[in-house]
Amino acid sequence: MFKFGTMEPERKRLKISDCDVDSWEVVPVLSDELSQDVELVDAFAAPILDKKQTSKLVQQLNTLHPLTSLAHLKRVRACKNKDSPHALEILICSVNDADEPCHFDCSNAGLGEPFAVKIPRTPPLTRRQFEQASEHWPTCFHEVKQVTAALRGELFNAKQKAQMRDYMMLAIDSAKAGKDLGMSAVGAVVVDPSSDKVIAVGHDCSKDHPLQHAVMVCIDLVAKSQGGGCYTYEKYPGCKFNSPDLENKTPQPYICTGYDLYVTKEPCVLCAMALVHSRIGRVFFGIRSEDGAMGTKFKIHTRKDLNHRFEVFKGVLARLPLISTELKVKRRRS
Amino acid sequence: MIAMGTEGVCGESFYPSDEEIKKWMDKAFDMAKDALENGEVPVGCLLIYNNEIIGKGRNEVNETKNASRHAEMVALDELRDWCELRGLEVKRVCEKTVLYVTVEPCIMCAAALRLFNLPVVVYGCRNDRFGGCGSVLDISSANLPQTGTMFKCVAGHRAEEAVEMLKIFYKQENPNGNPNKNDLLNYVTFLLL
Ligand SMILES: [Zn+2]
Ligand SMILES: [Zn+2]
Repeated sequence: MFKFGTMEPERKRLKISDCDVDSWEVVPVLSDELSQDVELVDAFAAPILDKKQTSKLVQQLNTLHPLTSLAHLKRVRACKNKDSPHALEILICSVNDADEPCHFDCSNAGLGEPFAVKIPRTPPLTRRQFEQASEHWPTCFHEVKQVTAALRGELFNAKQKAQMRDYMMLAIDSAKAGKDLGMSAVGAVVVDPSSDKVIAVGHDCSKDHPLQHAVMVCIDLVAKSQGGGCYTYEKYPGCKFNSPDLENKTPQPYICTGYDLYVTKEPCVLCAMALVHSRIGRVFFGIRSEDGAMGTKFKIHTRKDLNHRFEVFKGVLARLPLISTELKVKRRRS
Repeated sequence: MIAMGTEGVCGESFYPSDEEIKKWMDKAFDMAKDALENGEVPVGCLLIYNNEIIGKGRNEVNETKNASRHAEMVALDELRDWCELRGLEVKRVCEKTVLYVTVEPCIMCAAALRLFNLPVVVYGCRNDRFGGCGSVLDISSANLPQTGTMFKCVAGHRAEEAVEMLKIFYKQENPNGNPNKNDLLNYVTFLLL
């Protein structure tokens, strides 16, 4: 077992501004369904000629054209056009429903000339989607405070960001140790957030083994901390692990369940899927990578068809030289 | 039987013959059956170079507590050891090596096979939960210039048998369970493949 030393000497050599918690933002890597624009579908609506008939009309239409898959929509809206003689408009049906002939007799029911509208197909998941949706038709929105806060970059306070910085600094130290051995300068750290204990620190070893990326090394070091593991790391002093305090820990740690991973750059497909299999809790990375599987080429952590999903955040210490340079070099080359 | 010599076989045209596929898949199925009889997950996995087994693997997730120790990953480590012992370059050997496996490799293993530059993978049944050769994602042919090379797949050899063995295994493990298809694949591919 190893003790992880303090990072003070390293910190002094760096420009304060690059480490300052205000100089970088922790940005969530959201699923496409959260980050995309609202999807609109065609529908018909009509003005209500006699306001007093509104509730009757709503009842009639709810029977004839229930908003089954459109339950996020309000049936009636205030007329958008201020000059209109009618105060309210009612949603009759979406165009899909109307493929079967619409039996609603608008003129007899007391409705004006039907017109086409665009309506949001699915409930809005973010405030941005809600605002987009509401421009077309009044929409209900069950706001998930965490998602809104995350999108505003407000999920983590300065103290939490300072802690992220410290963990990422450990990953950077390890990356440097690996670089000195001729490896790619990528480092990773696994932390137990319930005890703030560092479980594993590792760097890329792929010069010696094509699959020994920093994340794969850390997954194996976590296994070692639990009495398993399959590789030895004597050649790599920058790769080490701490066993959790097993006596005080209930339930016993199981693979990477509940652990956070900090890694200097976005994990590739191999590492991302290994983290799914390992049931990682959350992932924080510095910058994107060209074949990255957590936002760039795929979003493996958000896929509903896989049996484990987790939150991913990018941008941690993104302006620090070691984190940002590797990508710059690659961009210049391409 | 056409021997897969190193001479005259260039990367592009490298492909196992039908006889080779039958021979080695039969062997992989024998391994899977053996595993089933011993209460282990019934998956067989072989790496063949020059008509010789240079790596084989079984799932080692439970004993290593490392969820990435799928049979393919274990077999790739054997291949590395085999090369080291003979002083051969891993990359050169991999260019002419075929993986035979009774179940489609998962997304992680597909990425690993790319990083080892394996040109051809022959597999039995699909892996609907985690498959990396088209079932969930197609890592085998995705545009990933930093993640090794693409590989070709030969799918479907004795697929029904491979599924059947997984079903039998699941029933043995959970005699009181009421398995549905999702539970089965979830259980087998997550815990043990
Ligand atoms: Zn990786
Ligand atoms: Zn796998």
